[in-house]
Amino acid sequence: MDFFKPANLEELLLKMQESSENRYLLAGGTDINVQIKNGLIKNAEVIYINHLAALNGIKETETEISIGATTTYFDILHSNLIKKHLPYFQASLDFFASPILQTSATIGGNIANGSPTADVMPLLLVLDADLKLISKSNSRKIPVSDFYFGYKKHVMKPEEIIFKIVIRKNAEEGYQHFYEKVGARKTLTIAKVALAGLKKEKSGKIKEIKLAVGSLNEFARRLPKIEAYLLGKTVTEIDYNKIDELLNLEITPITDLRSDKEYRYHVCANLIRTFLNQ
Amino acid sequence: MKSIRKFDAVPKLNGSWKFLDDYSYQGMIFGQLLYSTCHHGIIKDIKFPAGFDLQEFTFVSAKDIPGENIVPEPECDQPFMAEKEVFHYGQVIMGITHSNLRILREFIKKTGVEFEELPAVTDIKECLDNEKNAFGKELTIDHRNGQKVDPTWIYHHKIYYTPHQEQAYLETQGMIAIWKPAEKMMFVRGTAQCPFFVKSGVESIMGKAAEKVEFETSEGIGGAFGGKEDFPSLLAGITALLSYKSGKPVKTVLDRSDDIKITTKRHPSRIEIKSWTDPKSKKIRKIDIDYRLDAGGYQTLSPVVLSRGVLHAIGGYDIPDSFIRGRLMRSNTPSNGAFRGFGAPQAFAAIEAHVENIAADLKIDPLEFRLVNLLRKDAEFPTTQLISEDHLYDCLQRVIEKSDYQKKVKEFKKWNETHKDKKGIGLAIGYHGGGYTGNGEKVLNSEIKVIIRQDAMVEIYVSSTDMGQGAHTTLAQMFFETIDHPREKCRVQLPNTSKTPNSGPTVASRTIYIIGNLLHDLALEIKAELGFENLEEYVASHQTEFPQEFRRNFIPDPSVQFDEETYQGTGYKDYSWAACVTEIYYHADTYKVELTKNWSVLDIGKLANPKIAVGQAEGGIVQGLGYGLCEFFYKPGFGRMHGFTDYTLPTSIDIPEMDIEFIHTDSEIAKGLGEIPMDFPAPSVRNAVLFALGIQINEYPMTPERIFKSLTADER
Ligand SMILES: Cc1cc2nc3c(=O)[nH]c(=O)nc-3n(C[C@H](O)[C@H](O)[C@H](O)COP(=O)(O)OP(=O)(O)OC[C@H]3O[C@@H](n4cnc5c(N)ncnc54)[C@H](O)[C@@H]3O)c2cc1C
Repeated sequence: MDFFKPANLEELLLKMQESSENRYLLAGGTDINVQIKNGLIKNAEVIYINHLAALNGIKETETEISIGATTTYFDILHSNLIKKHLPYFQASLDFFASPILQTSATIGGNIANGSPTADVMPLLLVLDADLKLISKSNSRKIPVSDFYFGYKKHVMKPEEIIFKIVIRKNAEEGYQHFYEKVGARKTLTIAKVALAGLKKEKSGKIKEIKLAVGSLNEFARRLPKIEAYLLGKTVTEIDYNKIDELLNLEITPITDLRSDKEYRYHVCANLIRTFLNQ
Repeated sequence: MKSIRKFDAVPKLNGSWKFLDDYSYQGMIFGQLLYSTCHHGIIKDIKFPAGFDLQEFTFVSAKDIPGENIVPEPECDQPFMAEKEVFHYGQVIMGITHSNLRILREFIKKTGVEFEELPAVTDIKECLDNEKNAFGKELTIDHRNGQKVDPTWIYHHKIYYTPHQEQAYLETQGMIAIWKPAEKMMFVRGTAQCPFFVKSGVESIMGKAAEKVEFETSEGIGGAFGGKEDFPSLLAGITALLSYKSGKPVKTVLDRSDDIKITTKRHPSRIEIKSWTDPKSKKIRKIDIDYRLDAGGYQTLSPVVLSRGVLHAIGGYDIPDSFIRGRLMRSNTPSNGAFRGFGAPQAFAAIEAHVENIAADLKIDPLEFRLVNLLRKDAEFPTTQLISEDHLYDCLQRVIEKSDYQKKVKEFKKWNETHKDKKGIGLAIGYHGGGYTGNGEKVLNSEIKVIIRQDAMVEIYVSSTDMGQGAHTTLAQMFFETIDHPREKCRVQLPNTSKTPNSGPTVASRTIYIIGNLLHDLALEIKAELGFENLEEYVASHQTEFPQEFRRNFIPDPSVQFDEETYQGTGYKDYSWAACVTEIYYHADTYKVELTKNWSVLDIGKLANPKIAVGQAEGGIVQGLGYGLCEFFYKPGFGRMHGFTDYTLPTSIDIPEMDIEFIHTDSEIAKGLGEIPMDFPAPSVRNAVLFALGIQINEYPMTPERIFKSLTADER
């Protein structure tokens, strides 16, 4: 293992320019240290980024909240700014790991690590958040829904890093919301199923609906087919058999040591139904 | 008896208390185990990786053993290290040392063992369902009365399964061995609950090569729960051999993942119950129990677990005609071993579910059904032992009263009619025989020693270990409170097999019950012999008599007789009793059971230290609730778990508010406490699920996946 601690963002981005097959950033270390210990990461180049002020902190503009990549869940959970504008997002993250983990785990690490179970993803998906990726020569903003394209596969170029997460201040304003993380216990648990949802109704009809699931596919994703079906319907018009049918097309749950695919499927269907009747 | 603070509380908080890995010795190197990843096979070849200097390592395997390749156990069938054939996953093949732990781990990881694979039983049900897997001695308790089955009696036949349970002690297994060639002496220090077991383990492997073996525990033992009863003997033996061969002090500490994979767990069980109930009197007239445990690859101490299991199998019920059969079943998985409860939690998980099932089928209130059939004073166990007290009834009455059980039953039923989510409430009772089974304590013949110094300091020498349960505080209390001696002047010494007489292992809820009561008696004896009112004053005025040593042996009660062949007689001289009520909230969307409240009432006699007693009860109930709710170690098709990422222990917020009460605390005698809190909570959770959902789930634990499956199976 090769460790490197850049003095500032500039130096980090310069370092990232060098070609490397096997390079990792160490933010909170709560994923990567486990992977190193289990021998999943070997002889890698590891770059510390936690100390870089430019990557850290929660800021606002007139219309947006930006969360630096190395901001910890503890900071997000204790931010007044987030409490004011994104209370649903904040309260939902309370289920993340445990208080001890929350003080070191970062939001950028959660996204970049790419686990299908990452707690933050369904939330960012329904909030239509953007990711700002930067490199020495470039900076680009992409919708969070474009970030992954396969199991642990994402669109970042080798020289890029996640710089910050950007969420519109009114992203959850006026919506009814729903979040449930289903694990083997109440806390310190990996989600078997996670559902985040936002909806707006007008004269009894669903005007806007956003549903996103975690732990049910190779990466967290929205449920566009179900969303499209629901648009414009009143609660009584919803045919749940149709939803169950569409859900089958949108999720690919698996059976593993942790849970069973039938269970995961039915829990997801139940949660959607509960949200729609809420 | 006061709630004094544990004497090790402050040093544990400030970090000065030493656990095994905190010890270091001049020239010390590290040991680790190379174990089998094959369940059953012949070892063909061991290939060490390139890029390491083999000279830097020391290796020991079966052929290096100067003594016997047998771990001393109730059944001596387990070798320290495999010879040619391995019988289970996790079986040790070699011990290896290096001065650098990281290099050693990497070396072992890269070492390849080639096996010729042989047929293996790895699935729990495959092991337990097939009678051909039975091994070892079968136990039966025959209390049949020859009465004919009345055709009006209602027959129930069900099979109950319980899973493995991991002890999850905070400090993993560890040993340090130091060979002193000049004296031909092997010194071993370790985290273990039975010092003399470890000593005999090391004596067995060393044979004549060592003239003397001494074992001392580490200052702190970070939890054990039975998991440090027998595995430490194996680890100590191999570590000793490594020190003998390398000539250096060797420290072997397992990392969590190895510890979870290869050490003992609670035995999975299959308990088949047939019963006949008279619907008119609501009495169970006849019962037949077939109790089986998955022992793993070797029997080791499983026969003793089986024995306690069959002795508790009938539960707290007075059934005139009973037949109980117990068997060990062999699988190619690591041997299962001791865990708080020792066969009894499995027994209660089954019988308490069975009684609830009968009540549900016959539409009788489960409380009423229990009361009609309860083991009351003057009734007898299947062993013919007479019940001398009505404390089980008292526990049940008290817990019903304080939990407002009957009112809640009505309220919850009403609430459930109009809600998708459900509320549930479940009852369970239990008891636990204190000390070794049958004639065990007589055979053990525990001895304790006390030295009183010239400054009136009382040193207590017992082989009972303090593994965090507070035993060294309560044991000292049993002595100094008896003669009003200041607590600062009484201290239990660190168990050391050369200095401490053999007062037996720290198991079987026997520490306060046997050793504590012995200390109490010895204190009174010394007081009478010396004739003092105040020990400090007496010592000050009789300086020449001190230091003075006092000893006392366990004096068996002649009325306690047990026939090991027929299983008739006194199984245990004294029993602790308990009853509990658990309330749950069932989430229909996720099929999850949330525990909302637990009331437990226990009779353990006199409390040596009320606060420590509550702590023990809380800890045991948490383990029991986890056993009923979420803990399992193996999933068919996916195998065993590798660590705490998958093995689901409940966290503090999964545990409900607990209301614990001890009754009959004015009793003369302090009875067993360690295990009983583990015996009864699991079935109360299961019975609450039956209340909430009306489904009889006969396999533990009550995971949402299992509930989901049972519900959808009912739909079909
Ligand atoms: C006990 C335990 C419990 C956990 N519980 C949960 C849970 O409840 N929910 C959950 O979602 N996760 C959980 N996790 C996983 C983990 O804590 C989270 O994924 C966490 O957010 C990772 O952040 P980190 O800063 O620690 O990442 P690191 O381990 O530091 O990095 C993880 C990965 O992200 C990359 N990376 C980090 N920062 C950047 C960046 N700015 N740009 C590009 N790449 C980057 C690294 O290269 C690395 O591959 C748990 C982990 C543990 C050990």
